[in-house]
Amino acid sequence: MIEVRHICKTLPGGRRVLDDLSFTVRKGEFVGVLGASGAGKTLTLRCLNGLLKPDSGSILIALPGGGVEDICKVPSRKLRQIRQRIGVVFQGYHLVKRLTVLENVLVGRLGQISTFRSLIYGFKDKEAEEAVAALEKVKVAHLAGARVSSLSGGEMQRVAIARAIFQNPHLLLADEPISNLDPSNAKVIMRLIRPLCEEMPVIGVFHQPEMTAKYCTRIIAIKEGRIVYDGQPVLTQEQLIDIYGEELRQIENHNHERPVL
Amino acid sequence: MNAVPGYTLPSIKYKQKATIATAVAFVFVGLCVAMGFDPALLFTEFHYVRDLAGSMTPPNFKVFWSDAGIYMAIAESLCMAFLGTLLGGLGGLALAFGSAGPTMPWKGVRMVCRGILTLLRVIPTLILILIFVVSVGIGPFSGVLTLLLATIGGFGQLFTQVIEQAEPKPLEAVYSVGASRVQVIRFGLWPQVLPSFIANMFYAYDVNLRAGIGLGIFGGGGVGFQLFMAIRLLHYKEAFALICVTVVLIVLMEKASDLLRTSLLQKNL
Repeated sequence: MIEVRHICKTLPGGRRVLDDLSFTVRKGEFVGVLGASGAGKTLTLRCLNGLLKPDSGSILIALPGGGVEDICKVPSRKLRQIRQRIGVVFQGYHLVKRLTVLENVLVGRLGQISTFRSLIYGFKDKEAEEAVAALEKVKVAHLAGARVSSLSGGEMQRVAIARAIFQNPHLLLADEPISNLDPSNAKVIMRLIRPLCEEMPVIGVFHQPEMTAKYCTRIIAIKEGRIVYDGQPVLTQEQLIDIYGEELRQIENHNHERPVL
Repeated sequence: MNAVPGYTLPSIKYKQKATIATAVAFVFVGLCVAMGFDPALLFTEFHYVRDLAGSMTPPNFKVFWSDAGIYMAIAESLCMAFLGTLLGGLGGLALAFGSAGPTMPWKGVRMVCRGILTLLRVIPTLILILIFVVSVGIGPFSGVLTLLLATIGGFGQLFTQVIEQAEPKPLEAVYSVGASRVQVIRFGLWPQVLPSFIANMFYAYDVNLRAGIGLGIFGGGGVGFQLFMAIRLLHYKEAFALICVTVVLIVLMEKASDLLRTSLLQKNL
């Protein structure tokens, strides 16, 4: 479970990008965060992983062994421990291109082993077997020995998901995981992420309302740093216009007026 | 329709380019006049070159049968370049890690490391060899020390830039799984900078091999010292044989390092 309470964030230029955001996500939920570019979606996600610290408010996260911690207040060492169990799937994959697929997945558990062991001995055979099992879940185990730079976008995103799965996370965050993919690959990735919410809360940032309607269990819409919608995943046209602005209505009207060739 | 901003108009840009080209041409001519640049001298004084070429040819390759010390000198040159490159490369890498923002969070340490690199870069190699010849004596050790410091200064700065230009996204991903700073460097940064490190180390070896031969003239040992002695004793034909060997040696080492570098970079390092 993760509970966000009244977080605010103002950028150095004085622009308030997060304005009193509050929500709770529990195991079994796949929350899609929607909003126009610059609305504060990615910033929210970065705050949830502690990559960015909000100016005020708290982010309470349930720990695997019981107990709750506020990741805005914990010292950096404790924050590292918490991050070990937060899986993040980034928009641009964020893989180390010169490493193999297997090595990239193994990186997911770096926080869970000592620095000394990771530098001198490396990972154990058992861990490599578990990493291959994670790759099997996303159906790219046959690419384990390939260098990441040789993969397609869809394959890279699957590797990024395998890395998050291999972390054995208690919370999964996905920042625009399908924005760089074609519709077919986007569906594959959504089908891979969807079942994970049965084991942990999943929060994803998306730009595709039709995808979130189909795969998410709940939608949170952000506009100018504030939550403007929190509820069922299917949104009406008027709600979408409220989230994305009047320009969406003009585009829709224009599309309706276009002759069918 | 919006007007094109004045500074982006093609006619304005053409005038800017023409002004810069004219200024560069004036500076070039001015510098040539100030430096006494006279290509005609190459031809009027050419008889000196012809006389020297006459006394150097044909090269006396018999020296390789009569003087076994030359083989030792060749080995010395190769080893000097190898040790200078290896130790200098590692030293440069250590200082680069200390100088670069992504690897060193403390500004004070970064400034000290950058200061050391700048200092080593601004001291000319010839000054270094003279200092080491005085402090440790004539021989290959002074050559190794000179090459070591020159490599640290030259390549440390290059490695700093390579580290600072590394893609930050993989680092963020490694950081996000709870990895320590050292782990982020080892698993996120190191694989990105390693190819550049390997390629530059081979290049440094080529540079150091040539520089090491030059340093021999000033007391650094190796083939350079043999060459210097041959010229000083007016054994020009032997000197030309040594020059031929030096050229062959450099070409062979360049080819060998090219092959080794290509094979290393193709592997999953």
